[in-house]
Amino acid sequence: MKNFEPGGMRLALRETGYFVKNALSSVFSWDFLTVFVPLLAVWELLPRWGVVPRTLVPPLSTVAVTFWELLTREHLLVHIGHSMGKFFLGLGIAVATAIPIGILMGWNLAIRRRVLPLFQLLAPVPPPAWVPITIILFGIGLPMQTFLIFLGAFYPILFNTYQAVKDTEPRYLASARVFGASELTLILHVYIWNALGAIIMSVKTGVAMGLVMLVIAEMYGGRTGLGYMLVEAKDFFRIPVMVVCMAVLGIIGWFLIEVLKFLELRLSVWKVGR
Amino acid sequence: MIEARKITKFFSIVNEDRTAEGLTAVLSVSLKIPDGMIVSILGPSGCGKSTFLEILAGLQAPTEGSVYIDGVQVLEPLPATRREMEEYRRKYQFLSPLANGVFRDRPKHDIAMIFQDYAVFPWMTALQNVIFPLKLRGMPRERREGHAIGFLKKAGLGDSLNKYPSQLSGGMRQRLALARALAVEPKIILMDEPFAAVDTITRERLQDDLLRLWKETGITIVLVTHDTDEALYLSDEIVIFSPHPGSVRNRFAVSAPRPRRRSDSELLSLKGRIESLFKYDIDHESEYSI
Repeated sequence: MKNFEPGGMRLALRETGYFVKNALSSVFSWDFLTVFVPLLAVWELLPRWGVVPRTLVPPLSTVAVTFWELLTREHLLVHIGHSMGKFFLGLGIAVATAIPIGILMGWNLAIRRRVLPLFQLLAPVPPPAWVPITIILFGIGLPMQTFLIFLGAFYPILFNTYQAVKDTEPRYLASARVFGASELTLILHVYIWNALGAIIMSVKTGVAMGLVMLVIAEMYGGRTGLGYMLVEAKDFFRIPVMVVCMAVLGIIGWFLIEVLKFLELRLSVWKVGR
Repeated sequence: MIEARKITKFFSIVNEDRTAEGLTAVLSVSLKIPDGMIVSILGPSGCGKSTFLEILAGLQAPTEGSVYIDGVQVLEPLPATRREMEEYRRKYQFLSPLANGVFRDRPKHDIAMIFQDYAVFPWMTALQNVIFPLKLRGMPRERREGHAIGFLKKAGLGDSLNKYPSQLSGGMRQRLALARALAVEPKIILMDEPFAAVDTITRERLQDDLLRLWKETGITIVLVTHDTDEALYLSDEIVIFSPHPGSVRNRFAVSAPRPRRRSDSELLSLKGRIESLFKYDIDHESEYSI
């Protein structure tokens, strides 16, 4: 680490470079483009040739133009910003609560016995089923939307973290214990590291579920955000706007998953063996 | 000095059809291991020798009997009566009896343990792996790194300080485990088939390394193995375990002077006796099954 200290900026730049290369290489690989470009062409041409009705399926070029118009005239970026604000707030709260609770449940049998059944009873309630009661309790607005996103991301992170911590290789624990490790040391130096891959994996699932709940939350109660744009576009029958919203959501999800994948790669370097 | 008094370990197994079965892994084993000796526990797989070693290390509580290391009891035996059971449950309802404490690192005994599959932490570099137990033993921060590097060099890993275990070969990983155990300068090292997972050439080199390091430090080594040659080459005393239930079958003192040759005539004649013992047990297996 010492040789990086003078050039922290350079390190950040290099890591960003690695990330962009890693993330983009899967999409812009020659193999995938040979499939992707023809698909885009089909999307463009079928409505244009009248094979499918153009009013229902807007061609790619129309969607691109709509995207530009939304960006310049209808504050698309503001909507994206609002959506992401809520999303990260909800996801952040979920990560900050689910991971510690999961670790505690995986670590200690007494805690697990007292706490786990509660979550096992609550988790099967599908998160969208919480919408009505949440609207009544929190009203329409940020708290309700944040809560729903939190709810979507919480359980996958909780259960996967708990499972991974519980399944920690007993040999690692045994050797640390013989050396005299306290339980806190075991958690900080053994359990967490051993479960790290699974925890990041679970955050990926949490991101996917959080995005689902983001759209639902904004559809039911909101004046801003991508979900709101989607519903509004439906009311005015603006199909290209809907497609743009969907595409933006898709790209956001893809980007976040790529970030987590990169994080996983960097943190679990010991598994790869450079 | 390790003193095991009438150690018995009983496992109950619940079958799929909800019937219960019992398995006596270790039956009434008493053993005294004096300081500075290398003692091998030799036996076929499934004879309870690993369980016995884990009881010595305090990783499992015995069903009956007790282990004392330098006069201090390692783990109390499991409860036998209902009243004891209730008391035990109350006492250990939050923390298992194996735990050292919640916040303070505190080794119970001056021992280190080495496992067959290394159990070095794959998320730490070689150097971090050796520093970790030093920290637990309360060595001041500024001394840790130098001390760890010294032991890694002794184990022939001076060039691999910053490598992760996945980047090391099997033999190097086991040398790392050895360095980690020796670096805390324990009085006793317990080894559970430490060299079983490496090839013969590497194994013989590791055995020589172990003997060299043992000579320099004078620690007590308890070695569990199923390899007769390994036991003969390394130990001062061989304790033979027999299965069903695991118990001490026989004990041999190995008095051949060190450095030994693997083809030493005394070792070979002892080997013949041990092997005929095992063969006899296999031929008369029905007598030992329950």
